Amino acid sequence: MNTSPEVNSSPDIARPAVLETAGLARRHLFFASLCAGLAALAAIGLLAVSGWFLTAAALAGSAGVATAMAFNYLIPSAAIRLLAIVRTLARYGERLLSHKVALEGMADLRGALFDKLAAQDSRHAPDTSPGEASTRLIDDVEALEDLVIRQPARHAAVVSALVSLALVAFGGWRALLFLAAMMAALPFLFSRISAALTHAPAEEAAAALGDLRTRYVELAGSRAEIAAYGLADQAHAELEPIAHRLDEARRRLFRAEALQGALLSIYGALAVAGVLLLARESAPMVALAMLATASAVEGTGGLSRSLLRRASLEAGLRRIAALNALDPALHQPVTAAPGTLALGRHRFEPGARVAIVGPSGSGKTRLLLALAGMQEPVADLRLRGEPIAALPAAVLNGQFALSPQDAPVLIGTVADNLRLARPGVSEAEMWEALKIAQLDRRIARDETGLDTPVSEGGGILSGGERKRLSLARALLGGRPWLVLDEPSEGLDRDTEARLVDSLRHWLDRTGTGLILVSHRPVPLALCEKSLQIAELA
Amino acid sequence: MLRKAVKLYLHGLFNLIYVKFARVLIPAAWLVDVAGAALFAWGVASGVGAIATKHGASGGVTLLTPAAWIVCGALLRAFAVCSVDRLAVGAAQAASRTRRAGLWQKLLGGRLARPISSGESANLALDHSMAIENRDQRFSPIRINAIVGPLVVALIVTPASWVAAAIMLATLVPFTLGMILAGTASRRAAERQLDALGALSGLFVDRVTHLPLIRHFGAEARIGRQVRAATGDVARRTVTVLRTAFLSNAVLEFFSALSIALVAVYCGFSLLGLLPFPAPEKLTLVPAFFVLAMAPEFYLPMRRLAAAYHEKQLGEAAAKALAPLDEQPAAPKPSSHEPATAFDGLHVEHLRLAFPGISVGPLSFELAAGDLAALSGPTGSGKTSTLAAIAGQLVPASGHIATLSGAALPPDSVAWAAQRPLLMTGTLGHNLALAAPGTRDAEVLAVARQVGLGDVLDRRGGLAMAVDHAGSGLSGGERRRIGLARAILSGRPLILCDEPTADLDEASAAAIITLLVTLSAERCILVATHDAALIAAARREIAL
Repeated sequence: MNTSPEVNSSPDIARPAVLETAGLARRHLFFASLCAGLAALAAIGLLAVSGWFLTAAALAGSAGVATAMAFNYLIPSAAIRLLAIVRTLARYGERLLSHKVALEGMADLRGALFDKLAAQDSRHAPDTSPGEASTRLIDDVEALEDLVIRQPARHAAVVSALVSLALVAFGGWRALLFLAAMMAALPFLFSRISAALTHAPAEEAAAALGDLRTRYVELAGSRAEIAAYGLADQAHAELEPIAHRLDEARRRLFRAEALQGALLSIYGALAVAGVLLLARESAPMVALAMLATASAVEGTGGLSRSLLRRASLEAGLRRIAALNALDPALHQPVTAAPGTLALGRHRFEPGARVAIVGPSGSGKTRLLLALAGMQEPVADLRLRGEPIAALPAAVLNGQFALSPQDAPVLIGTVADNLRLARPGVSEAEMWEALKIAQLDRRIARDETGLDTPVSEGGGILSGGERKRLSLARALLGGRPWLVLDEPSEGLDRDTEARLVDSLRHWLDRTGTGLILVSHRPVPLALCEKSLQIAELA
Repeated sequence: MLRKAVKLYLHGLFNLIYVKFARVLIPAAWLVDVAGAALFAWGVASGVGAIATKHGASGGVTLLTPAAWIVCGALLRAFAVCSVDRLAVGAAQAASRTRRAGLWQKLLGGRLARPISSGESANLALDHSMAIENRDQRFSPIRINAIVGPLVVALIVTPASWVAAAIMLATLVPFTLGMILAGTASRRAAERQLDALGALSGLFVDRVTHLPLIRHFGAEARIGRQVRAATGDVARRTVTVLRTAFLSNAVLEFFSALSIALVAVYCGFSLLGLLPFPAPEKLTLVPAFFVLAMAPEFYLPMRRLAAAYHEKQLGEAAAKALAPLDEQPAAPKPSSHEPATAFDGLHVEHLRLAFPGISVGPLSFELAAGDLAALSGPTGSGKTSTLAAIAGQLVPASGHIATLSGAALPPDSVAWAAQRPLLMTGTLGHNLALAAPGTRDAEVLAVARQVGLGDVLDRRGGLAMAVDHAGSGLSGGERRRIGLARAILSGRPLILCDEPTADLDEASAAAIITLLVTLSAERCILVATHDAALIAAARREIAL
């Protein structure tokens, strides 16, 4: 919604092209469209030929036994059966092929969008919080997939129209002209009707849902208070009017959709009645023309339904298009010699061990995130004399390895999480890092070892274990500066002492520098220099 | 306010009527739809018949009647479709409102089996509820039609040609068998596909969420390849699965085409007098054509049903996801027959929590009626969940929570001061006294000043100051103080504070700590925090 205000909201202008957004070319859907067209042809043909055959048979039958015997029933009756089989096979082919193209196309698109998002600088990248990510990359792409799957039906609608015209030609030129005008007007007319009927309620429904979600999430955030004080009724009373707005909009939207279907069937009937009145040919030909018209208008129904869906999906298409427009160029971390670091007026040579101290909420974590290239710095921080805000993230990533305060763990295995640190981490290195982080015995205890699965939020790992896994990962990074945010939080005193001890040995051995935030005395003893955060701001 | 209530009540009543009668009216509307189809078919058939008898003579009056039948039939169908929609929306939305009321109460104020994030809660409360509504709206009304529709069509066709009706009905037997075979296969396939897709979207969202970390370690390309491999794999597996899944559609498609073809061929040969068996009935053109034009109607309800299958699947998945919420144990009610025991302190024994991503305890501790204890531990270690379990909002894996004398802890003895307190649209006074409505203004004012809201009160017009739910114009510290004042005003003896000093400047944090220490003379206060100063000020630390 918020991505491109410059795009006109009118439904037929500046609509993002479905296939282009999906990264697909027309030829990808060629066979699916071919099947769809064949299915449309067979569907119309089945009814039309049946009608013609029946009428001609009746006329021949009433003309006497001789005429009946002379009537060639083999070809039409065989054609009817053939068309029935073709319709089945072609529909199956259309479904399978369009799904295949859409699914494979969307898999590529998800990969491409991921790569593009990944190539951005965390300091000013689009929001990738869980809610946003799932909206953009799951829901929007799914909606697009649905549109791609429906694409062949749009082509089939054109085939339907053309086939019906060809068949109605047997009913004479008046009927043909009439139907041609009806068919030509149909997409135009119905896209107008669709826009007029559904646009306002669709927007209103989206807006009401957005408001409802915002307010609901706020209230859900205050769940503890609502539950403690028994305020659920009041919360419900606050939400209900917004929900009512949503219900009303959806009611209008559904009504519009039904009305559109109803109008289409009336339109079809008018076309059939018109063909009946205008055709000047024999009964079998008129029968053929009428049944062809009826099923062609029904066939184009797919087109108007997909127009309707489109209207409500445009916002999603625009969001995908905006992500697609990001620069995909990837920057590998620059592995340069260790650099000197300046925090405010203080300069530190590589290998220095510095503690940042200060009260809660004074920006210590923020400073570490700035060094890691994840947030814009607020303090004066320089690497090799250059302000880090001006340095590419790749340079920072080559210098610092962070273990953040919330110790994020990726869904996967312990090994997956450790391998993130750098390419080509060996198992022996992983065990060594886990040993330093005092997590080796815990992981070895599990029979799956390094393949122990960890799920969202750490799964079977406790808060403290998650912290140590994150620390082991930072150690494996092998960057000149280790950046740790409360590494011993949640550890008992013994483990904390062992951890700090092995960390000291590791720092001595590798000559790695340390930037530490902690409020506990044991890890702080690792550092030779302690800086008040207030001095840097 | 009253008018609004009356309006809502009338609305509810109206909806009740909708729901009661929808059961009867929706099938009736479908009957009207079939009647419209029959009228249309009759118009087409009689039109062809008129041309055949006049042998291609000019249209004129004779053709106007059939044309009128055709248009009238379509109008009838249009009316039926709109009626079904209106009834179905009314019924679905009424059901939705009832479901919503229960679900929202539960999610926002009930006892839960595990912590649910605000985002997930919104997903359950809004998206899942809407998926069920969509199913009720699009799939459910067609179901009855799919059962009755074909039989009604066969019945209408019978006077014209009972053999054709029999042919249509006969195709139902192999069709049903085919659907059972293909349907079982495709349902299994669909379930596998849903699982795979669920896992994929989980992995994908996880990787996208962790992009800052992935970028930090320069692992973009490696994780990108992993994501591509996973998405590609799921796509390929899904396509394999769809080959079977689409079989049921093919079965439906085949028999609907076959029934048309069989009817056409039978009628044609019967009219020619060339049936290879003795003619069971005497057919003429118009009835035969009517039967043919009605033939597609026989399988139409089932095709409509197949088109709404996606909504059904999503709705059922949503209902499945919501089902565990219905089984939640209700909050333990204070035993009302005995007088509420006075709170004399908190006794927690072997409390253990086990939720996805959180494992706490066993914890055992005792707090006096006037006490200040700090629950400490790293972010994500379960501090807030522990408080919630003590408040009776989450179900612990095991353990015992009671007053010091051993009586059950009454829920209305627990106050909660949140990190980001709830603000309702209304006045500041209303928000402060939310947990104790009817408190005298003087008392509210005194407490507000006690927690340090004096400045705001003086600046912004006292208790009458308008507050909106976004809390615009209030700082984080001021909001926090509103939560504390609310907890104090509630008069409850046990106050649970969630990170009372987080993100505050040093002076505000110190003021809050002093206030908590003062308050602990008369109340039992348990704070979840990782602020060293607050931990130091507490009489004891309980480390997670």
